Amino acid sequence: MILEHFADTLLTTLLDPRLMLLVVVGVGIGIVLGALPGVSSTMALAILLPVSFGLEPGAAMLFLIAVFMASVYGGSISAILVNIPGTPGAIVTQFDGYPMAQSGRAGHALAYALIASSIGGLIGLTLLITLAPGVVAVAMSFRSPEFAMAAVFGLVLLSFASGGSTFRGILVGLIGLLCGMVGFDALTDVSRFDFGTAALQGGVELVPLTVGIFGLAEVLRNLAARDGALPPVPSIGSMIPPLGSIARLWKTILRGGVVGTFVGAIPAAGSAISVAIAYAQEKRLSRHPERFGKGEPAGIAGPEAANSAGVGGSLVPMMTLGIPGDPITAVLMGALLIHGLRPGPLLFANEPGFVATIYVAVFLAVLLTLVIGFGFMRIIAQVMRVPRALLFTAIALLCVVGSFAIRNSMVDVYVMLFFGVVGYLLYMIRIPPAPLAFGLILGPILEENLRRSLIISGGSWSIFIERPIALALLLLSLAAIVAPLVVPLLRRPSMRPPRDGAP
Amino acid sequence: MTGSAPLHVLAAGALLAATAAAPQPAAAFPDEPITIVVGWPAGGAQDTVGRLVAEYLEAELPVSVVVTNVPGAAGANGVRDVEQAAPDGYTLGTKGVHAVAQSYMNPNATPLDAMDPLALVNIDPAAVSVHADTGIEDLESFIAYLRDNPGGLINGNDSPGGFSFLTAELMERALDIELTKVPYQGYAPTVSALVAQEVMSATLPVPMVADLHEAGDVNILAVAAEERHFRAPDVPTFTELGHDFVFADYVMIFGPVGLPEDVRDTLESALLAAMDSEDFRAAADGIGLILDPQGADGAAALMQATDAAVHPVLVEAGLVETDAQ
Repeated sequence: MILEHFADTLLTTLLDPRLMLLVVVGVGIGIVLGALPGVSSTMALAILLPVSFGLEPGAAMLFLIAVFMASVYGGSISAILVNIPGTPGAIVTQFDGYPMAQSGRAGHALAYALIASSIGGLIGLTLLITLAPGVVAVAMSFRSPEFAMAAVFGLVLLSFASGGSTFRGILVGLIGLLCGMVGFDALTDVSRFDFGTAALQGGVELVPLTVGIFGLAEVLRNLAARDGALPPVPSIGSMIPPLGSIARLWKTILRGGVVGTFVGAIPAAGSAISVAIAYAQEKRLSRHPERFGKGEPAGIAGPEAANSAGVGGSLVPMMTLGIPGDPITAVLMGALLIHGLRPGPLLFANEPGFVATIYVAVFLAVLLTLVIGFGFMRIIAQVMRVPRALLFTAIALLCVVGSFAIRNSMVDVYVMLFFGVVGYLLYMIRIPPAPLAFGLILGPILEENLRRSLIISGGSWSIFIERPIALALLLLSLAAIVAPLVVPLLRRPSMRPPRDGAP
Repeated sequence: MTGSAPLHVLAAGALLAATAAAPQPAAAFPDEPITIVVGWPAGGAQDTVGRLVAEYLEAELPVSVVVTNVPGAAGANGVRDVEQAAPDGYTLGTKGVHAVAQSYMNPNATPLDAMDPLALVNIDPAAVSVHADTGIEDLESFIAYLRDNPGGLINGNDSPGGFSFLTAELMERALDIELTKVPYQGYAPTVSALVAQEVMSATLPVPMVADLHEAGDVNILAVAAEERHFRAPDVPTFTELGHDFVFADYVMIFGPVGLPEDVRDTLESALLAAMDSEDFRAAADGIGLILDPQGADGAAALMQATDAAVHPVLVEAGLVETDAQ
């Protein structure tokens, strides 16, 4: 059924010049923003989110997912050309991409990344389409107790996620939970933590918070950093690598894509982990591990496939359970909520056409990234030299205008400014700001469903143990807390994955 | 000739005065766009109706009519934006029963006497439904079951102050029964909780459950209106069954108090004319609205009647936080 919707939506989108223009523009902006060091995919999405408010929900998703997908690829461009990852997910791509570019084959490196990225993106999409119905089938039987426990599970995983110490992550997550309590209590409509002001009764909106911590705070960070000019961009040369060497990469790309999707689907695991696994795996399986780090195509293709496949993977928990697995899907979820669409099993039941639109958006974004990437690479490489002062001023402006646009309220602008400063301060004291957003999303889900469960059970906490799925989620949460304490005791030497440095 | 010079001056002066007076609001309202503030997110009932009215009001006036969503605080933020706007007729709003409840529950919300109703658009009568698996098929057995087991049915409704919560409270009084009320955020989650039998009954308006009723999954037991609902014509009204219970949500257009008399009249007649058009009626029918177009007096009367019905409920539930009334 979903495939019929997919075909229908694909056709109407292809035949609608306005929608296609949105995707093309989204992909173009996405590649450029992704390629700019200092602008992560999350930031690109956060600052462009408000642009989508005026669009109908389907068109907004087409645009935002185009930006998302393209920026994930764009990150590899600066990694290859100037040895600075444009986004955290491209962090491994430079290991082999930069040496290859230095040896005069920049075009080849970019092409390997682009092809692997596109195929990886399609693998992620395919797995998303196949996996989602299964997760939804389970999630359909979710009632209040299960949603409460799913939120607990999400909070536990996400507190490990964001780099730095788990303790600090949890601390910030708790502050996020508190922010989620500002405004009207979901169950009693009593206003809380509003300090007697009407302004705070509407609560802390997700979008101004994410625009603040992922947009404005990053601007402040970049402005405060010493303004090192980018190293010169090497000449790109031919973008057509030998066909044989592309063909030899098919297994690498397939493996990378599958790893990327599954790691991406685990809340909190994130792209930095999946690319590290993909790289390590290719190096281990290669007959020439010594070539890695010196310009080996498999060292580019594996991680890039994993990185782009992660987009499809990260949409699985967000769309099926309403639990964002990383900061990017948290921002995307903000966009859905603005349009009155709450992701979760009900979305699949009530809006199958809209779900298909998201699939179509990923599909078109992948294809157009491939086309635009090959067609305009030389121009994109030049855009990387845009003066940083100009760039960050424009982004700061977008942050302000965008926050106002959410519901035409200056309060949201003040909230955005506040969290921009908070985000920067957190960065200064080396605390990841992303759990703020997770706490803000999951807190109200947890509170509402927990309290409702207890009303239904007449106050008995056994409702969480008597229901099998709720119990399973509770046990998984416990395991996730206990595992990091127990595993080191087993003293199994293993590679520690690099942490996700910047959200 | 000398005598006529001052006359010329006078005439010119009079002409000037006349042209200067022309753009005064009295003569030329409206001459800039009118905003309708909706206190709920896009896509909800208030928003849908607000946009429909804006579209047809535009045809009656020489200016454009735009809808802005200012959601938050159970609709109170949007209502307050209208209250605090200049009373020049360029800022209007939509509101329903929520505004009455909020005026008592929220010290920051707009009091009822600071809203000036201009027109009523539609009504959305209350109803009560149960899941078919409860085996309850009519209102009498519903009442009998609850008399035997007070609080024995878990009812899905809004959080306190919301329309379906007030429906449950008023129905408990009218029928002398007791429900266990569980709040949900909005109608759609309440419907899914009813379908999944997390709750056994729900006090949702008819359009939300009409399809489920037709499919036999849910039984709508009674409608709290004067007449049966066109989406579920087989369902009796409470009145038919001998219970005095009539209660409806509504969408009305209102402005801040202090509108100039002529501006108010212009708006009221333009609203009535807009709602009188064939196309408007057809469009409203298409989205399942029960139209009840009325002018300022009718709207004010409905607001007073709702106030009279709701206030005692809020007092008894301990929800009144303001010293209004």
